[in-house]
Amino acid sequence: MNHYQLNITADDKQVVLERILQVARYRGFLINGINAQVNNADNIGIIKLFVSSERSIGLLVDQINKLIDIKSVTVDNKATQSTSA
Amino acid sequence: MASEQLTGAALLFKVLQQHQVKHVFGYPGGAIMPIYDALYDSDVEHFLCRHEQGAAFSAIGYARASEQVGVCFATSGPGATNLITGLADALADSIPVVAITGQVATAAMGSDAFQEIDVFGLSLACTKHSFQVTDVNDLEKVLHRAFAIALEGRQGPVLVDIPKDVQIALVDEKHGNYSQLKNKVKLPPANVGSALALMSKAKKPILYVGGGVGMAQAIDELRSFAKCTGIPSVSTLKGLGALDPQDANYMGMLGMHGTKASNLAVQACDLLIAVGARFDDRVTGKLNEFAPNAKVIHFDIDTAEIDKRRKADVAILGDLKVNLPSLEMPLSIEQWQETCQAMQRDFGWRYDHPGENIFAPAVLKELSDRVPENTCVTTDVGQHQMWTAQHMKFNDPTNFLTSGGMGTMGFGLPAAIGAQVSRPHDCIITVSGDGSIMMNVQELATIKRFQLPVKIVLIDNSKLGMVRQWQDLFFNGRLSETDLSDNPDFIMLAQAFDIKARQITKKHEVAEAIEEMLDHNGPYLLQVKIDAKDNVWPLVPPNTANDKMMENT
Repeated sequence: MNHYQLNITADDKQVVLERILQVARYRGFLINGINAQVNNADNIGIIKLFVSSERSIGLLVDQINKLIDIKSVTVDNKATQSTSA
Repeated sequence: MASEQLTGAALLFKVLQQHQVKHVFGYPGGAIMPIYDALYDSDVEHFLCRHEQGAAFSAIGYARASEQVGVCFATSGPGATNLITGLADALADSIPVVAITGQVATAAMGSDAFQEIDVFGLSLACTKHSFQVTDVNDLEKVLHRAFAIALEGRQGPVLVDIPKDVQIALVDEKHGNYSQLKNKVKLPPANVGSALALMSKAKKPILYVGGGVGMAQAIDELRSFAKCTGIPSVSTLKGLGALDPQDANYMGMLGMHGTKASNLAVQACDLLIAVGARFDDRVTGKLNEFAPNAKVIHFDIDTAEIDKRRKADVAILGDLKVNLPSLEMPLSIEQWQETCQAMQRDFGWRYDHPGENIFAPAVLKELSDRVPENTCVTTDVGQHQMWTAQHMKFNDPTNFLTSGGMGTMGFGLPAAIGAQVSRPHDCIITVSGDGSIMMNVQELATIKRFQLPVKIVLIDNSKLGMVRQWQDLFFNGRLSETDLSDNPDFIMLAQAFDIKARQITKKHEVAEAIEEMLDHNGPYLLQVKIDAKDNVWPLVPPNTANDKMMENT
């Protein structure tokens, strides 16, 4: 089982969290934790998503990136390495 | 710039008009009544279906046959939930549909009000995107965005849920430019050099064509690429029509019910060029034994399809119309072409069939040979669907509409209605089965109401045929809930909707009955009785490599 941390920025829409969680579950990733905040200055949501799966994280990154309200998705390699050790 | 004030419902129709929407499919109800009231004053023509699922499938058929956005309406609660299967179907097959649902008033939302359901929540898994409009001032922007999202990139369904108070609230039309989407995914430059190098080295390349070609309107570019390179080609179910069926290098459909030549060629190839295809499990069979010796070049518009099921050696992302011509290059593969053509000759379809009973593949070949140009065929799901895909020829993907990804029984009849509305002067035929047709049989009333000249070819084996076939082959013949011998009298049923109908049971009746159906100036149901034990061949059993297909021996 590989553990990953994703750093996601998104438009501040209430439902964006639901969309991300639905995609993560459906695509075969266990959600281990989530940290979400909104930057009120520019209405951008900043989400840290902690997931684990046997599947390649690239599959989830691509699927989350397809969501309309998502601005960026990156894998935190440092966190990924430390959690999978 | 502010202009006249109008209700949210009236604004909806203004926006529909701006997107050249002339026809919508739907069913009224309590929470969408202001929209149906505004429809009364609108130029949009509404087709009353007899179930919201029928409305959704008609919108899909309309979209697929005409390459425009299909639009459907439903009320809240059960109306909205009845749309869900259609939206899922549109998502699986990447069809641009905008679904408008009424919702209970905002003040009542979340109170378990009458006919209230969280359709927005339901939509998350079965739409490309969805909106719930709680402020009428957002409505215009949201509706324009919905159309833009449905069409942008990989197409798909978008749902807009509009509470009743938003429908009746007054608002200024803003005339903003809302259709521009940000291109947030930066596509890497096409790696043309690497792809050309793979093509140059290949001795046994195969062109594997999917539904994305039609969606990209890249038929000409694909055919030009196929002609220039001379690469032998195969098609997915949804890709049928993209390649010229008369092309000597075209081998037909691949996969579970693909042609033997297609599957053997793909398994033997050393380069697989996937164009708008997604390595679906019905195509690949056992994935890790699919095209085991092939390098892969994968063309797609959707980044998420690259490496999803099969690692690509070279990915070429973006518009096929732009990218395909950049790889045109004559190849010296005459020996491989001859091998593929020999397989086509050796393993071609046979239509000889013992006895007097009707052989469905022969009926569909006969139908294919006789239909007028630009005929559009829809199907339901099951044996008749696979026989249609195998034995009819299509010259454009807009002429073959079938539920590919979702495999939804009940698709064919309402999809044919949508196709007929979008192409009133073309012949529209639905090939259905006696199981499938009952799934949305109420849409015969829609055909009657609008006098749509849809032709229905009902392949009737009094069975849930494909499930029966699998029970025979893989469940020790233990037939469970697949007997439909108590079906209604389909001739009487059709006649109850003023639809001319005829039953045939013997081979010698086929040609004349097809002619009668095609000559009839109105809707027609041709019930074709076949042997209940006829199977679809070949068949690649589940989780099996495609070269280990079962055949009729």
